[in-house]
Amino acid sequence: MKREYVTFVRRLSSLDEGVQTLFIKDLTPGPRKYDTKLVRAQLAREPESLSQGDLLWIRSETGYLHPKAWGIRVLEELPPHVPGQPWQDVFASLKNLK
Amino acid sequence: MAVSDLRGFIAALERSGDLVRIKREVDWDMEVGAISRRAYEKAGPALLFEKIKDYPPGYSILNGPVGTWRRVAVALGLPPETSVRQLYAAYEEKHERKLSPVTVDTAPCQEIVMAGPEVDVYQLPAPMVHDGDGGRYIGTWDIIVTRDPDTGWTNWGMYRFMIHTKNMLTGWPQATSQLAIMMKSKYLPRKQAMPVAVVIGCEPLCHMVATDPYKPGENEVEYAGGLRGEPVKLVRCKTQNLLVPADAEIVIEGEVLPDRIALEGPFGEYPGYRSGTMGEGVLVQITGITHRKNPILTLSTLGVPPDDSSIAASLTAAIAMKRGLRRRGVPVKDVYVPPEGVTHLIVVSVERGGSRVARQVLDFFTARRVMVSKVIVVDRDVDAFDMNQVVHAFATKCHPGRGIALEHYEGRGNALTPCYSAEERRRLKGTSAVFDATWPEDWEEEGVPIKSSFETTYPDWLKEKVLAHWESDGLGGRL
Repeated sequence: MKREYVTFVRRLSSLDEGVQTLFIKDLTPGPRKYDTKLVRAQLAREPESLSQGDLLWIRSETGYLHPKAWGIRVLEELPPHVPGQPWQDVFASLKNLK
Repeated sequence: MAVSDLRGFIAALERSGDLVRIKREVDWDMEVGAISRRAYEKAGPALLFEKIKDYPPGYSILNGPVGTWRRVAVALGLPPETSVRQLYAAYEEKHERKLSPVTVDTAPCQEIVMAGPEVDVYQLPAPMVHDGDGGRYIGTWDIIVTRDPDTGWTNWGMYRFMIHTKNMLTGWPQATSQLAIMMKSKYLPRKQAMPVAVVIGCEPLCHMVATDPYKPGENEVEYAGGLRGEPVKLVRCKTQNLLVPADAEIVIEGEVLPDRIALEGPFGEYPGYRSGTMGEGVLVQITGITHRKNPILTLSTLGVPPDDSSIAASLTAAIAMKRGLRRRGVPVKDVYVPPEGVTHLIVVSVERGGSRVARQVLDFFTARRVMVSKVIVVDRDVDAFDMNQVVHAFATKCHPGRGIALEHYEGRGNALTPCYSAEERRRLKGTSAVFDATWPEDWEEEGVPIKSSFETTYPDWLKEKVLAHWESDGLGGRL
């Protein structure tokens, strides 16, 4: 059974395939649903193209749900935050991560 | 006298017929939000959800404590039928009273304590409010307590906070808020974390005071005591040097981190849209959670008006604006913030109008942080609380060429204004307009159009005659 996650992006076009660092929310039902993780993960537009991959739903910054899920395989879970000062753009900080 | 805790308020709502208990099990994952949203949109009662999926018996959620004017009246200890104008007058009359708080050593809000590694915010039934929100919002109807490290001034505000992980929250006090100014001016230069408490489930006047735009240095807790007619009891947090209302249901203690951030938002906000504010908030490391046994989590399922935000802010913002306009020398008679305008649209009636006064009004609203984008100024003969009269005045007296003045700004606009582009919202760039629906000051009296209404068109002797015969003419009950 594939796990399901959701991530939020400013624009769908800003999300790339390949190895990415991103915040994801776990959609597993139960009292910890929507728990956030920062992960390094392999992403693919076509879920079938990722062996042992899970599903990644994508929402825009208005919460619009893109109709088609991507594939995701989590490679590494990181501490759930990035460097930056309050009110700074978290996406800019994510881009600067090594 | 108003009540001193949320449980007393719930009992008062039950007595006035303004509360329904939902006893069947409901899902915290959107079902609570969906029921609550429909209840607002049908002008329904406050809802107490008594059985929440995944959570122990006794844990409950209260939606919409002051989502109608009736419930505001109950909160103020007034009859539920009290008119909006009377509620404004009562709030304004009590608004300047202060009562110092009293500090206690033991408190209901600390009956259960989690600290350090025990902290797990998932033990509280925070709802997923709307489909498409960025996460579970535990802080929607809250009081956010912070303290100035130099002066000791304690600030109360109301800001949204979302669960990030079991021991972290992300939040979005606007970058121009008092919390933001304190963090940026006092803690960030020292690279220090800022102690913060997210207080949930007080009686509603404390929360309403938190929405009231008092000036920096003013202690909201003293005004809350004045409004209630009894001092607020405060207790020291278990893990932070902050005082919080002792009778609260839940207190989440923590620190706003100065050097780490995480994803926050989006969230369906008070203007009635999920307008796309996301990823530019603050990260809180939770150090402790305290709560009453069988805690009640207060919720405001924000959206299109009316809801707690549009109703409470209608009252608190209007009184603050009236005070501010008077300070600036504007001959203000009344200020009305129609809930349907979600604090984006304000009505100001003035003793004498004209373009100079309208400009003064616009200058007041755009002097600093700008939360308002449209202001209608009307003459004193227009009842600011009667939107039929206001729309009539706007439609007929506001000159489309000369009667609209604009002010453009950047860095201090309201990022939640839905008509702004994403780029404008990010840059806090915006425009405010004043619609001058008053007669020009230089028009001679004999040339001012005379309003054709019963009140203004006929001589007094005839009006008296009409009224004297009204009932016998078969029109009784229609006055």
